[in-house]
Amino acid sequence: MDKGEKDKYELENRNENSINYQAPVMSSDWQFGGANLTSAGMSLVPSGNPLALGSSCASASVADSFGSNLWEHPSNSQNLGFCGINVQNGASSSNAMGIGKSTLTSLRSGVDRPFDMGWNAASSMLKGGFFLPNTTGILPQSLSQFPADSSFIERAARFSSFNGGNFGDMVSPFGMPESMGLYTGGMGLMRGPEDMFAANGMKSVSGVESQKSKLNVTEATRDACLQVENRAKKSPGNDRRSGSLFRANEEAKQGAGGSGNESDEAEFSGHDGGQDEPPSLDGAGGEPSAKGLSSKKRKRSLQDAEIDQAKGGQPPTEAAKDGAENQHKGEQKQTTSVNKTTGKQVSPASHPPKEEYIHVRARRGQATNSHSLAERVRREKISERMKFLQDIVPGCSKVTGKAVMLDEIINYVQSLQRQVEFLSMKLATVNPRLDFNIEGLLAKDIIQSRAGPSSTLGFSPDLSVGYPALHPSQPGLFQAALPVTGSNTDVIRRSLSSQFTSMTGGLKESNQLSNPWEDELHNVVQMNYGTSAPSDDLNVNGPQPSGNT
Amino acid sequence: MNPSSLKSRFTTRFLRALTKINAHKPISSSSPGPGEIFQRYRRIKVAADKSMAYSVRSRRTWSRATLWRLRTRSPRSRLATHARRSWVKTRSTRAASHGKEKKEDGGTVEAEELRELVPGGEAMDLCNLLDETAHYIKCLTTQLDILDRQECTSREL
Repeated sequence: MDKGEKDKYELENRNENSINYQAPVMSSDWQFGGANLTSAGMSLVPSGNPLALGSSCASASVADSFGSNLWEHPSNSQNLGFCGINVQNGASSSNAMGIGKSTLTSLRSGVDRPFDMGWNAASSMLKGGFFLPNTTGILPQSLSQFPADSSFIERAARFSSFNGGNFGDMVSPFGMPESMGLYTGGMGLMRGPEDMFAANGMKSVSGVESQKSKLNVTEATRDACLQVENRAKKSPGNDRRSGSLFRANEEAKQGAGGSGNESDEAEFSGHDGGQDEPPSLDGAGGEPSAKGLSSKKRKRSLQDAEIDQAKGGQPPTEAAKDGAENQHKGEQKQTTSVNKTTGKQVSPASHPPKEEYIHVRARRGQATNSHSLAERVRREKISERMKFLQDIVPGCSKVTGKAVMLDEIINYVQSLQRQVEFLSMKLATVNPRLDFNIEGLLAKDIIQSRAGPSSTLGFSPDLSVGYPALHPSQPGLFQAALPVTGSNTDVIRRSLSSQFTSMTGGLKESNQLSNPWEDELHNVVQMNYGTSAPSDDLNVNGPQPSGNT
Repeated sequence: MNPSSLKSRFTTRFLRALTKINAHKPISSSSPGPGEIFQRYRRIKVAADKSMAYSVRSRRTWSRATLWRLRTRSPRSRLATHARRSWVKTRSTRAASHGKEKKEDGGTVEAEELRELVPGGEAMDLCNLLDETAHYIKCLTTQLDILDRQECTSREL
């Protein structure tokens, strides 16, 4: 499989409210992607690490989802999908993420490298594939496979309350007990899948638990994986299941007892039943879906922990980055998590489907209507995204208000699109280099040198910014193009024509060439003039000639 | 440089497409007329958009919409566009009703504009739309960067 297949498992962010109408669409995409993923997963075992790296990083950084460092960092482009998603996860998932990470890093040390990576890749793939429909927000809903340790919940709660500290530091003190918990949980988990698959008549997987040989385990997991993939169209919980299945297998492979802890198993299977949501474990019909309020809360934190676990398949190199991200995310999430982890159930009676995903406590003095709560959550999300966009779009720092921001964003997107057209037109005219130097194109130094002028010139004087920024070899153009006056068109034309003569070396068709350019120019300039009308007042305020941001 | 970053993925694909385009049309020293140039421009632009969308695969709505749009620009697109339009309409009505329920920002006019700009944004609520926009902007800037440099290096010949 080519590299592109790996991308499929990256997550998408979806509003919880949009679960209804997004699910059907997602499922089709996801199913296809999922099927590909499994086949790709096994083949990509050796290269699983960077994937797990991306996935784990992303999952950790909830509130960082819109942090500029992640978005703009080119090497984290994979995280982008995850980052976007986990806004709602962030609000909901506790710092059990930190736990998950610490535990898994400690666990990982003992795992065989190839299998580890295979599991990483496969589980991350699965998670990604399954997560696609999860974007609709089902994600927290059907976490079922996580061990129902009440102690674990307490630890999760403790983590969330300790939140401000550095997660990286927390690794060691919590590492051991957490790993123990995970181990027992993992043993318990092994039962779960077996029950589930047995219920479905999947005899092949029943051998999972008893088989200690690597071959059987991998085969079973592969089968389970495929089966799960094929069946679980709408059951996002399956990713957890398979994730836990993988984990369980991994631990089995390590030689841990098949049923290390009977009590944990029993507890797990019992609780597993209690945790099922209607759309959750597909095929787990045998498990009752008792869904009391208390179990909801439990499931919540378990879900969170499960999320971490499921996503936490990462090489230890992640730890530092994750630590920082966790901290960031944890801090941001603190308000909602503090609201949430009070040990009591919070969900308003009406509208259970909406409140299942995020338990938001009504703040003091605010309406407790479920609608207003959900609306508040939505508004917060939107403002969060707007803030992030404000950082991305140059020249928006002094803009307040949604409408004006949206206008600026629209202008920016339009100018970017026009620039793409413009550049492709330019590429069409020049004789192409026959040896395409990829490294040269990806070199970072050029990025900075180019990004400098284009970003500082800002975008509010976008009438002229795009074009001069494209010709750094002719610095004189900058000064010529900067004044934001009606003479922009002329300036641009002059610059382009001068460039043409230099570029084409005085070819005869320079006149002909200029015509398509002029058409493009007209389009662009008209668009710019037209759309910049609402922001004219802003242009006036800013110091134009010096190239503001 | 991250070997699997968005930028590297896009670059490899785009360069591949460029080589294909250049091989397809031997741009010789003969003067290419404006029509030819325009054709080539269209091809290059499509290649750029396509490679960007492919680098993002189906993870994003806008990439899916772009790929879909590019695929169904062929003559047999009538059926496809009809299907797509009906699908979009159902989703957009749902999204619109959803948005109207919670009219928190009176900026729905701008939201509509943004929806038109961002491919695939017709049927998304504001929250996801902003998300898509952010990602789209990031990819556009990457695209621009690569195109820019490519043009620069080509020009230096």
